[in-house]
Order: sequence, then structure tokens, then C-alpha cells
Amino acid sequence: MTVDPNAATQGFPSPGPVHRRSHPARYLVPALVAAAVAVGLGAYGKAHDPAGTAFNIAGFSSTGAVKSWLATTAFFFALVQVVSAFMVYGRLPGPRWAPALHRWSGRIAFLVAVPVAVHCLYALGYQTYESRVLWHSLLGCFFFGAFSAKMLLLRSERLPGWLLPIIGGLVFAVLTAIWLTSALWFFRTFGVTT
Amino acid sequence: MTRMKRPGPLLTLLAGLLLGVFLLSLNATTGTRNASSAQEEPPATAVSPGATAGPTESAPASPAAPSTASASPSRSAAADADYAGRTDDDSSAVAVSLRDDRAIAYFCDGRDKESWLKGDVEDDGTMKLTGKNGAELDGTLQDGRRIRGTVDLGGHRYGFTADKAVKPSGLYRATATVRGAKIDGGWIVLPGGRQVGVLDRDGRPSTAPRIDPETGAVTVDGRTITAKPVTP
Repeated sequence: MTVDPNAATQGFPSPGPVHRRSHPARYLVPALVAAAVAVGLGAYGKAHDPAGTAFNIAGFSSTGAVKSWLATTAFFFALVQVVSAFMVYGRLPGPRWAPALHRWSGRIAFLVAVPVAVHCLYALGYQTYESRVLWHSLLGCFFFGAFSAKMLLLRSERLPGWLLPIIGGLVFAVLTAIWLTSALWFFRTFGVTT
Repeated sequence: MTRMKRPGPLLTLLAGLLLGVFLLSLNATTGTRNASSAQEEPPATAVSPGATAGPTESAPASPAAPSTASASPSRSAAADADYAGRTDDDSSAVAVSLRDDRAIAYFCDGRDKESWLKGDVEDDGTMKLTGKNGAELDGTLQDGRRIRGTVDLGGHRYGFTADKAVKPSGLYRATATVRGAKIDGGWIVLPGGRQVGVLDRDGRPSTAPRIDPETGAVTVDGRTITAKPVTP
């Protein structure tokens, strides 16, 4: 981390008896933000008139290929996420920098997924005309909500031990489903092209 | 494990948000122009079903591109236009769209034979455009008023003459997914209003329904989609 991990950015009460009561806002705020993000993305995708086209990157045959490779990159780092998470929790032997690996692979996966989502929402929108597309739209919106929730939960202290693994596993499972319904479908339909 | 109140996760979210907003604004300002490097689906403007399903909604997307793009500073600016005509044997139609020394052409017989070709226009007005399955178009721009040349497709050679076309004559394309089938239609609107078009459903070609040349609206399998003017 390039920032001081101990820097106080919010006026949370210091660890003490207060936290044993498990203040509801700790869960409520991430849950509300997650819902807002997911519903907001879906509403935008539904309301916005799909442009049908957007930027492309030189060297790729189509935006579909660009997105599929970006999504595959994100999925690869998501796999790193799972392994490094096991290391952080001591379930797998890992190097001392396993937590840093976990943080940075997650950031890369997220930042690589953002352009894909932007293109989806801008050019294609929230669509329901077949089940693959429906699930992809639904889970795509859900993913960014769940990811936001996990990021916000990370800031809380003394969470129940099972919570982060559950949310993290959920985020990974959803990303996998998104990848299966888009990039894998693309590669199977159009071939593994660039 | 004990967790610190760390700003890292927030910064991550913020970075993602900024990246998303940045890309979105980039799209909103340049998104209507199709990226020039797209090769597989050149100037096809994908029409997503659903949000543009209604006939009233697709109507405003009027094909205004060909004439507006002619303000190019290129030395061949005068030649930037659409050219449309028929083959010498009158079996098929050919349309070529020129912009800034690049060309895209469409050959189709209105039934099951079609080819999209693209390539560069040389300084002397000649062009060699290539398409899938070895299709090739050799043409020469004559006085900036017509293109004369040949198309080699499926073992045949077709001579053609394509005159400069004025809107709504020209070259149109629509891609969409309708009822699960991938639709890719190409239309040549000839001077005089005749249309020749082929519509691919999941790669199976057939005669295309008529488009409204003013708006590009066309009904495919019960759904209205919009065909857009094609530019390289």
C-alpha cells in the first residue's frame, strides 16, 4: 500500500465496547451502497439508448474481442484472488506478500473489468432477449454492487470471520458466471481471435 | 485478523468510478463515430434490440452521415461519396463508399450472394478491395463521378459501373440480434430508388426486406431495426 494504512479517514469510534454491539450501520451502509450501485447500473443500462458502438482498440478485430480478452484478464486475476485469499487466511502456504498480492490482483481485476462494463452499458444496455443475455445483464450489475459492498466492508473492524470469505466467494462466483456468459460464449462463437 | 480502517478499498472504488466516468465521457463524445480499426464488423452500426425496438424510436436515426462527412480536407475530398450501380450482366448491384482514401464496398445479388470488401484508394483513383473468401474488387474512380471496375466472387468476374449516388441512394447496413438470431443485412439503394439487399440470419443469406431509405427503418421478423449508412 502506498498510503498509510493507519490513517483515520472517518470518525469511527475506536475499538471498544461499542463495537461489540455490532453497529448496524456497518452492514447497512455497504448493503445500501451495493443495492444502489447494482440498481443504478441496471437502470442506466435499461434507460440509456444503446449506442451500439463505442471505442475500439487498434489491433483487435472487434470490440467483442477486446472485451473478451479484458474480461479474461479480469477472470485470471480473480483466480489469483482466490488463491491469495487462501494464503492470507493461512489455508495455503504462501509468501509474506500474499496480502499485497491479494490487494493488487483484486485492484487490477476490478480496473480491467470497468472498461468492459462501461462498453456493455453504453453500447449494449441491459438486455433480456435470451437467457444468456439476461443472466449476464443481471449478474453484471450485481457484481459491481457486491464488489462495492466488499470494499466498504473491508474498512470495518472485527467483522464476523465468515463474512469476508462469503462475500469474496460470491464476488468470484458472479464474475465467473459473467465471464462464462460473455467471453467464453464469444470465443466459442467467433473463435479465439484477437 | 484485525482490520485497520484503511483507505485502500475506498481508493480502489474511487479509481474504478473515475475510470468508468472517464471512459463514458470518452464514448459520449466520440462514440458515434465508428472506430476505424474495426475490421470484422466494419461500419456496421450494431442495433441492439430492446431499447430501440419501437418503430418510433428507430425513426430519428436518420442516415445523415454521407453528406456531412464530405467536408473532409483530404485532397480527394471531392471523391468522398457513395457510388452505386449494377453489374454489366444486370444480375447484381455494387456500391462503394469512399472516405479519405479508404473504401468499403458491398456486392450483392439480392438473393443469396453477397460480399463486403474494403481497402485503400490510391492517388490515381484505383482501388483494390478485398473481402472474405478471396473476394476482390478492382475499380477506378473516373472523374470523381463514377467507379468502373470488376468484382471477382465465387469464381465469377462481374464488370460493373457505379455512379455517384446522392442520398438516399447509397449503401446501408444493419446488424442486430432478433429472436436469438444474429442479423446482418446490407442494402444498396440505387439511383431511382430501387433496392438490392441480402439479409443474413445466423450466416444464412436471403432476400432482405425493404428499408425506408429516409430513416433506414426496416422490419425483420417482426422487429424494427435501423440500417445505417456505411462509411469506411
